[in-house]
Amino acid sequence: MSIQAGLGISTDKDSLKAVREAALQARQRFDGNASPNVAIVFSSIEFAHLTMLKTISSMFGHIDVLGCSTTAVLCNQGVFRHAVAVLLLNMSPDTYYTTGSITDIKYKTAIKAGEEFGEKLLAGLKSARRDLGIIFSDGLIDKSSNLIYGMQERLGTSFPVVGALAMDNLRYSKTFVYYNQSVESDAACGLILGGGVNFGLGIRHGWKPLGKPRYITRASGNIAYEIDDIPAATVYEDYLDCDIKELRLELRRIGTFYPIGIYLQGEEEYLLRNITDIGEDGSLILQGNIPENSQIRLMIGTKETCFTAAEQAVHEAKEALSVKAGACPKIKFALVFDSISRYMLLGRDAEKEVEAVKRAVGPGVPVIGLYTYGEQGPLKSIDYHGKVYLHNQTISVLLVGE
Amino acid sequence: MDNEILVNILWLAFAAMALTLLILYLKKNEKINSLQSAVINLKTTLEEMDEQAKLIVRTDIALNKTQEELDKKLTGLYALQRLSRAISTTLEEKHIFRKIELSHLEDLGFEKACAFLWNAESGEFIPYLYIGYMEDEIDYIIADLAEKRDFYLDLIGRQKTLSSISLQRELGSLEMSKAFHANSFVISPIMPKEGDKGFIFVGAGADMPLTEGDEEFIILLANQVSQALDNARLFEHTWMAQQNLERKVEERTQELSQALEEVKIISKRKTDFISAVSHELRTPLTSVKGYAAILIEEKLGALPPAVKERLEKINRHSDELVRMVNDLLDISRIEAGKTIMRLVPQDIQELSASVADLISIQCKEKEIELLTENPEALPKVMADRSQIERVLINLLGNAVKFTPRQGKIIIRISEEHGRVKVDIQDSGIGMPPEAIERIFDEFYRVDNEINQHVKGTGLGLSLVKHIVEAHQGRIWVTSTQGKGSTFSFTLPKIN
Repeated sequence: MSIQAGLGISTDKDSLKAVREAALQARQRFDGNASPNVAIVFSSIEFAHLTMLKTISSMFGHIDVLGCSTTAVLCNQGVFRHAVAVLLLNMSPDTYYTTGSITDIKYKTAIKAGEEFGEKLLAGLKSARRDLGIIFSDGLIDKSSNLIYGMQERLGTSFPVVGALAMDNLRYSKTFVYYNQSVESDAACGLILGGGVNFGLGIRHGWKPLGKPRYITRASGNIAYEIDDIPAATVYEDYLDCDIKELRLELRRIGTFYPIGIYLQGEEEYLLRNITDIGEDGSLILQGNIPENSQIRLMIGTKETCFTAAEQAVHEAKEALSVKAGACPKIKFALVFDSISRYMLLGRDAEKEVEAVKRAVGPGVPVIGLYTYGEQGPLKSIDYHGKVYLHNQTISVLLVGE
Repeated sequence: MDNEILVNILWLAFAAMALTLLILYLKKNEKINSLQSAVINLKTTLEEMDEQAKLIVRTDIALNKTQEELDKKLTGLYALQRLSRAISTTLEEKHIFRKIELSHLEDLGFEKACAFLWNAESGEFIPYLYIGYMEDEIDYIIADLAEKRDFYLDLIGRQKTLSSISLQRELGSLEMSKAFHANSFVISPIMPKEGDKGFIFVGAGADMPLTEGDEEFIILLANQVSQALDNARLFEHTWMAQQNLERKVEERTQELSQALEEVKIISKRKTDFISAVSHELRTPLTSVKGYAAILIEEKLGALPPAVKERLEKINRHSDELVRMVNDLLDISRIEAGKTIMRLVPQDIQELSASVADLISIQCKEKEIELLTENPEALPKVMADRSQIERVLINLLGNAVKFTPRQGKIIIRISEEHGRVKVDIQDSGIGMPPEAIERIFDEFYRVDNEINQHVKGTGLGLSLVKHIVEAHQGRIWVTSTQGKGSTFSFTLPKIN
């Protein structure tokens, strides 16, 4: 089994020129005459139209294209707000892979759409051993945790999947998913790799618990109604010394910088939940689901803990890869899904985090990634059997190697 | 009795047990109390910690806000710096606005921008920039600008910058927000010193409120654009002037070229004419001279002395005429390129010495000191020996002619700038400055006493000049009236 990977990036304002430039750069990294069979594309929303995908198809013939829109792409060269990045992969015939997509998630409901998505992906893989799933989904669908739950119904709860929630230009209005020759909102696409692909995955956030432990006393899905038997928002009012009105005004900052952390037995870090809205009844609407009776803490992050977490995520991924591929694995490429919360917290230092990732990954490895509204990835501890959850504030690093 | 003892023992045992239990109970109670107090302490500590956590969060949020503000300002400053560099290198009006990109606006904390310049001739605002707007939105803005033309012209006239903060309490803010599709905005005039003036508008959505200093940033940007417009217009002006000048120079060059061509044609005609006339003159002259010689020799009979004297005059004047005709023919041949210079390496010292020898007799007659100053070794020159001899004879002959008795002539040969230079310096009567300019012209003769008495054709120096130039050399003269002249010429040396 072998994989070749080539990375290209362009900031040209002409979308056609940009995608051509990025794709050609990526192609040049290949040895000999190998032609790419999969393209992973991340771009800022001004590039999100069919021309971009058609250009790639016209350049390489039959090729599976997957990706999504984002606020900024990251790669070896740095962080770019208006750019298109292309990762071309050439997989040897003994590497099994299948791709699929799902649309109209809202209409179908996230859980049903997840099931259908899982089925489509499985159908393509037939009887081959499946190793890893990579998915991209609309970053603004409600109850996005349910998409994962639906998929797990078909792919199994412990099947490792990493995913990114697509972004727009921080307007929270419309995000796009790229699949072959379609650019869709309210959709998801994915890739399943099989046949013994060696990979390592690391997910970290670096947010630390603060204040006393509290309990979710009433919740349903992604809505926390009560914490310690009082309306959930009251806790934030208390901590921040402000009323609900002020809280709503500052929600973007508060929801990002001080999320709720769910304590999970055996996990090294808390599972974070961003607050996306505040209900009239003082409930907190979260980006992912939160179970009743969960022990929670208010979380706080700093730039330093972000950098450390980024390095830890890479080391974790490297260790996991070593277990599968031996002591000194050759890393073919690194895929990074970085939470937009981190970008907002780091501000001008966002590049430093990418530098930390690059340093930890090692020289000569193509690193491509995007900022996301949420990240999907498995939990580590035995108690959760590698079950995939929706995360917030994390940086997920996927290393694929030999 | 035994029963009584047994009962007592039992009582004692019971009492002991009860005592033990009591002790145990008391001890347990003590532990419970201490644990309860520990729990209370723990709870208190936890509550205290929670209070501290609140303080931390509140401080952190304030710090984050400050950090964000600082970040925004820094990013804005960097964006302005980048923009300033890009704009200042642009010298075309339209290109100046094209340098402003969405990424710059985002770094400055905005998401859309448009700029208009007022065209007085057409009486309308012309759009020069729009970022983040659809074309129909721009049409809407243009229509609104036409309607509220005076307001915007007044804004430009008063050089006033407005923003959604400064207009907060006025109705204008809402109207402007609506017209330009932006919740928060800054509008700043573009005021170049000359030409069309206008304004730049930058705006953002509701979730991107203005912060302190945003206005100043946009004023800086507008000033930068104004400055660039001035530069571009000045450049355009200069460029046009230069183009005009270039065109005029080209026209004049063409005129001059034409004139030069005409002069060349005339010069050629002149040369041809002289050549033809000289040839035609030589034949009858030869006859005149021949017949005069026959008559003088009295082959046709004896002549009276008066006739013989006149005939000798005819003969002498005929010789002069022949010399003049020959000189003219030589000049015209050289001019026409018909004379081939046989350039071979020559030892100029030896050549000049042999000519000096020839001239030394005339020098002796006038008691003139003839000196030669040469360095020990001199490179050879490429020259036609007979022609250079003519040059030296001419120049030395003139020197003798114009140097009074007991004067001095110096022949100085040196190497200078890769050429060999020959100076012939005399202590003669010299010449006036106006003569220096014309001395090499054909038929020019300096108006002095000697020339009035000694005959000459005025062709010698002209011929010398033509010969030297045909050798790729140069000839010139320096002279001070009453003190003497120095004729200098150069010849190319052999490396």
